[in-house]
Amino acid sequence: MTQKKRILIVDDDPDFSTAIQKILSSANYDVDVAGNVKDGMQAIEDKMPDLILLDVMMEKYDDGFNMCYDLKHDDRYRSIPVIIITAVTEVTGLKFNPETDGEYLDAEDYVQKPISAEALLDKVKRLI
Amino acid sequence: MSVDKARILVIDDEKVIRDSCKRILIAEGHIVKSAEDGDIGLSLFKEFRPDLVLVDLKMPGMSGMAVLEEIESSDANVIKIVITGYATVSSAVDAMKRGAYDFIPKPFTPDEILLIVARGLERRHLLLESEALRVEREMRRRNMISLVSHELRAPLAATVQYLEVILGGMAGEISSEAKEMIDRCDIRIKELLELLSRWLNLATFDPMKIAEHFQDINLSDVARESIEVLKSLAEEKKVSLSLDTPKDLPPIQGSKMLLEEIFTNLIGNAIKYNKVGGWVKVALYEKDHEVWVEISDNGLGMKEEHLSRIFEEFYRVDGRRNAPIKGSGLGLSIVKKMVDAHTGMIDVESKFGEGTTFKISFPKFNI
Ligand SMILES: Nc1ncnc2c1ncn2[C@@H]1O[C@H](COP(=O)(O)OP(=O)(O)O)[C@@H](O)[C@H]1O
Repeated sequence: MTQKKRILIVDDDPDFSTAIQKILSSANYDVDVAGNVKDGMQAIEDKMPDLILLDVMMEKYDDGFNMCYDLKHDDRYRSIPVIIITAVTEVTGLKFNPETDGEYLDAEDYVQKPISAEALLDKVKRLI
Repeated sequence: MSVDKARILVIDDEKVIRDSCKRILIAEGHIVKSAEDGDIGLSLFKEFRPDLVLVDLKMPGMSGMAVLEEIESSDANVIKIVITGYATVSSAVDAMKRGAYDFIPKPFTPDEILLIVARGLERRHLLLESEALRVEREMRRRNMISLVSHELRAPLAATVQYLEVILGGMAGEISSEAKEMIDRCDIRIKELLELLSRWLNLATFDPMKIAEHFQDINLSDVARESIEVLKSLAEEKKVSLSLDTPKDLPPIQGSKMLLEEIFTNLIGNAIKYNKVGGWVKVALYEKDHEVWVEISDNGLGMKEEHLSRIFEEFYRVDGRRNAPIKGSGLGLSIVKKMVDAHTGMIDVESKFGEGTTFKISFPKFNI
């Protein structure tokens, strides 16, 4: 490996982020954490991460979706893979469903909270 | 709609009645259209979207009763007033049963018709108001449920994520005793998460909204995918899984996600409530214009007295705390709701100690 890959977590739950950070750094990734969309965008500009883990439901339930949309429509960031994190499952209006929410599925992948270390690392490895 | 100015449709084969109704009601400021028979009346109804309809009961061609029924089933909030030349009590009562708000016997004076229309429009106003309130209340309830469940899930998810780190050894060594306890914490919290998401699923389920997105679905694919998902659970329990389906099974109208939910719940139960070396068979076939699904097992089975209750929310045969096999008791009530949303029927047969069969029939698409 030439250089450590850099991952940005954007999630408003600091406990969740800390745990995810531990898992990722145990697999030798450099990890940055942002607690909201604004800090997230700043961190992307400053650090140019190799991958972004993005929570969909922050202050507003669609914050993450909007941020993902913005990233994928910005030539500077389009190529950074995004993994969407969702906490809401099943058949609710808030469920992120790749079948029906195709327009949002500019994201490369998605995971559900909580996630096993193995599954998370698997998904990350597949992308970077 | 304002009470004083409304859209009114008059359906009557007598020109005199149509013209006089029109004249009287237009003079009052209403927008009025008329039709000389039921068929024309109904097509006009669809484009004109009236607040109130006056219908003659006795017309050549389509009867006034049939018109009434059509309108009632397409929008029950539209006020229907029956014009009748033979004001017998029975025909008026019959019409009321079919959703008419009131009736007016021929001949009538301008004052009589104005009074009855005014009362009808007042009623319409009330109906629309309470409908709007009901919708708003329902929306608030749903938002509340989603919000609460999100607030409940978030701390649980964060906790499980920490346990994952600790159990994975990423936060340093732990004693085997501590590991055992943390393992249990992990299991218990995951059960709670599962319960929450099932409850949320049930509480926010809206069959009308779901039906809007129905597509042609091939149940063979759904069955195959569900079996794939449950393969490892079956291997763990040493239960064999099989699928029997014809190549040309006709499609049904449905939601893939919900149908998968039905299959995984039922197949999951058949594995869960089974014995070592048992089997689970999924069979699909076409019969009597319907597509049938049979999910059978030779597992634990249930006693007769439980069968009528297992579709109830939170009902479990072995109760909760000390049950040897854990569960929320919500799975089958979710299944039932989702089968209903697909206008299907579900039935269960079981023999204690021998096994269980769930049978579902779905109406075939394109009969
Ligand atoms: N295939 C089956 N064989 C035996 N018992 C079953 C089967 N499926 C369901 N049951 C019984 O019906 C009850 C209700 O099932 P369900 O609503 O799915 O809830 P849960 O499995 O979470 O308890 C279960 O507790 C179980 O006792």
